[in-house]
Amino acid sequence: MRNALSDLITESASNDPNSIVLSGDHGYALFDAIRKKHPNQFLNVGVMEQAMIGIAAGLCKQGFRPTVYGLSAFVPIRVLEQIKLDVCYPCLPVTFIGDGAGLVYSTLGVSHQCAEDVAALRALPNLRIYSPCDAEELRAVYRDMRGFSGPSYIRIGKGDRPVVNAAPLESGVEPHYTVAGKAGACLVATGSMVSISTQMGRELGLSVLSVPKLKPLSDRIVAELSRFQEIIVLEEHSRHGGLASALAELLCELPHGRAPRLRAITLKEKFAEKCGTYQYALSEHEMADHQIKGRISQLLGL
Amino acid sequence: MSVTRNHLQLDSTRLRRHIVHMAYSGGSVHLGCAFSIVELMATLYSKFIRYNPKNAADEDRDYLILSKGHGIMATYACFREIGWLEQSALDRYFSDGSLLHGLCEWKIPGCEVATGSLGHGLPVAVGIALGLKLKGRTQQKVYCIVGDGEMNEGTMWESLLFAGHHKLDNLIVIVDANGFQAMGEIPAVMNLEPLAAKFNDFGFTARECNGHDLAALEANLRELTETDPAEKPKALVARTVKGKGVSFMEGNNTWHYLRLDADLFKKAMNELGGEVGA
Repeated sequence: MRNALSDLITESASNDPNSIVLSGDHGYALFDAIRKKHPNQFLNVGVMEQAMIGIAAGLCKQGFRPTVYGLSAFVPIRVLEQIKLDVCYPCLPVTFIGDGAGLVYSTLGVSHQCAEDVAALRALPNLRIYSPCDAEELRAVYRDMRGFSGPSYIRIGKGDRPVVNAAPLESGVEPHYTVAGKAGACLVATGSMVSISTQMGRELGLSVLSVPKLKPLSDRIVAELSRFQEIIVLEEHSRHGGLASALAELLCELPHGRAPRLRAITLKEKFAEKCGTYQYALSEHEMADHQIKGRISQLLGL
Repeated sequence: MSVTRNHLQLDSTRLRRHIVHMAYSGGSVHLGCAFSIVELMATLYSKFIRYNPKNAADEDRDYLILSKGHGIMATYACFREIGWLEQSALDRYFSDGSLLHGLCEWKIPGCEVATGSLGHGLPVAVGIALGLKLKGRTQQKVYCIVGDGEMNEGTMWESLLFAGHHKLDNLIVIVDANGFQAMGEIPAVMNLEPLAAKFNDFGFTARECNGHDLAALEANLRELTETDPAEKPKALVARTVKGKGVSFMEGNNTWHYLRLDADLFKKAMNELGGEVGA
């Protein structure tokens, strides 16, 4: 997904002279291509994430469409108020990229980990939130953003998970089945959890729905999910305020007896305890690949 | 009509009368914060800022960003004189469903940016100045009025570092150095001095003057914008008096918080020699 991100960033610069990338001294090789091809459309602002958001807002007033890049622990978490006041309130066309979301930086510890970005952003008016799982979903996200004149946040999680989508997505950023299994239970996943969920869906004969756009959620998603008796949401994010929360908020409005039962496999209410690999960090939350099957089976009584 | 300078010479006393009228009509606080920048605003809109009186959003305009949003009533007073605001907007200040908030809102033509949460206006001003440079729009300038209390914020120093590094010589930062922040005197809460020297160290050309002396303001701003070295952003430390213009408010920080009652309203208006609505 990182190569695709680099290509899309560079392509945006090629297609639109008003496209400009700001980085708070992060990203390194991700920006090799744009720096080589369009050096005037990339600016390393320095280690000043807060001022960077205001600078991006000021650039919008001169017709630019800035992309602001950072690690999700910093963009958006460190700069939440700047995003709210400087960008979301005037509804400016800034794209925020929060890289390394979830527990990607497992060995660096809590300062670089981020389980709360979607929760923090969901309450902000005007902002779109995307959480692509692979290169094709990311390309669909960029196509979707092109027609939008307001702010967007792209959550980039673990980038080297197995590819899920082999071909361009005709449905764009709409929720789409990566496995069309039996009626009954459905795994609903986003971002880094789509790949393992898809594998589990195949093994256990369950439907798997990938949700690349978290806000606004598709108008179709309630109708789609009410076909099932049980859904299990999988996301590398806090149980509070992410996809599971968003779906629960919608499904609870259905008439009595019409909503599927919703359970969630998410990050737990705790910070990292010990150091280790990405899979080790997930295991502290019972979300490592080798634990997922057992948890799904237990929840569904398989 | 296009953007030009010198449309109208704004009168500081008239501006203060608008402010007192608004503050009394709406029961607003922050009088002291508005009064300290009246001469600054009057000088900028009378002599320096290129604007279109028929269109506050003219794309060729100079920008004035009020980073210290608490002084907003001074901005509204100027906009009333220029014609960007109707008298009814001032009369109805803070009434239900009215147009104007008590801090700076981007939606009001001419206000540009939402501020009042401190430390936001200057980074956006820096972004505008950078954008003008990148677009080759060399005629336009960005003026940004900041508070001395606001200089506590980290984003201010991030912005100064950035502006100095990128040689944003189209940026003029003006500090309303009234010596107070919300809870006390600047030297007691968080010392800023030597402030002009700090700007110089960040790559600015800095000057300092009495912020209520119209001739001094004009002379210093003219040197900053016309004769001081290119390739450097500019700063003016304007030494001001919080509450300037009404005797019982001058240098009295409680007028950050107090509202006018009927007696004080009359007393203030008498000192300013005028009637409601100027």
